[in-house]
Amino acid sequence: MSADEFDPMIERMFAQSPRLADEALFLATLQARMEKQSRWRVLALTAAGLVGGALAIREGLTVNFASGGETTLDQGIRAAAATAQGAAQSGLDGLGVGSVDLSSGTGVLAFWIVAGAMAAVLAAGAARLSQDV
Amino acid sequence: MGKSLRDFHDVELAAQAAAGGRREYGELVRRHGSAVRGLLRRMGATPSLSDDVAQDAFLQGFQRCSEFRGQGTFAGWIKKIAARLYLKRVAKEARYVAEVETDQADVVVDRGGLMDLDEALKTLNETERVCVSLCHGAGMSHPEIAAAMNLPLGTVKSHVKRGLDKLRARLQPAQGDGRSIHVG
Repeated sequence: MSADEFDPMIERMFAQSPRLADEALFLATLQARMEKQSRWRVLALTAAGLVGGALAIREGLTVNFASGGETTLDQGIRAAAATAQGAAQSGLDGLGVGSVDLSSGTGVLAFWIVAGAMAAVLAAGAARLSQDV
Repeated sequence: MGKSLRDFHDVELAAQAAAGGRREYGELVRRHGSAVRGLLRRMGATPSLSDDVAQDAFLQGFQRCSEFRGQGTFAGWIKKIAARLYLKRVAKEARYVAEVETDQADVVVDRGGLMDLDEALKTLNETERVCVSLCHGAGMSHPEIAAAMNLPLGTVKSHVKRGLDKLRARLQPAQGDGRSIHVG
């Protein structure tokens, strides 16, 4: 047999791999690892979201309660917040609930209630995921 | 009546797996898991190591499924991933010695005259076995093997040629007659 005939024969022999008896177990183990990996990813993303949210809230509070010596950064944040507030207010107007004033005491309270509820939901999800993992 | 997963082509399953379809990917694993594990064992991995590396390869394959666009077969694609992972694993353990000759000169074969590939591969030294398996089992080119094994291209070609010569010497007589043979 020449090399030209032998090489394809070897490739055919390599391609003929017997099915292993424990392939179902192999698949089950792999799927369990995939599931675990996916949970860790969700957990990491949730944690990152919580940390980011907490930092944002902290920054917001710092800006609100900062007194005197206002820096350019503070002014920028204040301007951005005012823009966001204006956009949110116009959105509320569009939804027909324009009577809710976000800059009023009631509006701020509603904002914090919703933010708190979202943080609680995220924390509950993270806790549940950590139990699963 | 809807199509069962078994009716889909590998390329279709891979496309659905790339979109997050775990059931579809499971079908690909069911189809090719044994072949990948078999290749790793032929490269010299123990059964437990081959299973471990194959699992890592399939996990990596799932994350990189969008890279497979049907050029070549899915089996070839996943085998290359597995082979590279295996090489990295053994490189970490520094198991490779470039020129180790563990010639098993006296191999008695009695399997109805047929010496199978797995037995024949055992007569090659480790580097030859890996080179031949990568070339003919995983479908890697010589330059790809050289890069993966960090060996000169000429050395890889020599290993493949020597390995094939040994396989030819052992497999051809066994296929010719139907008797128990003594090779070496």
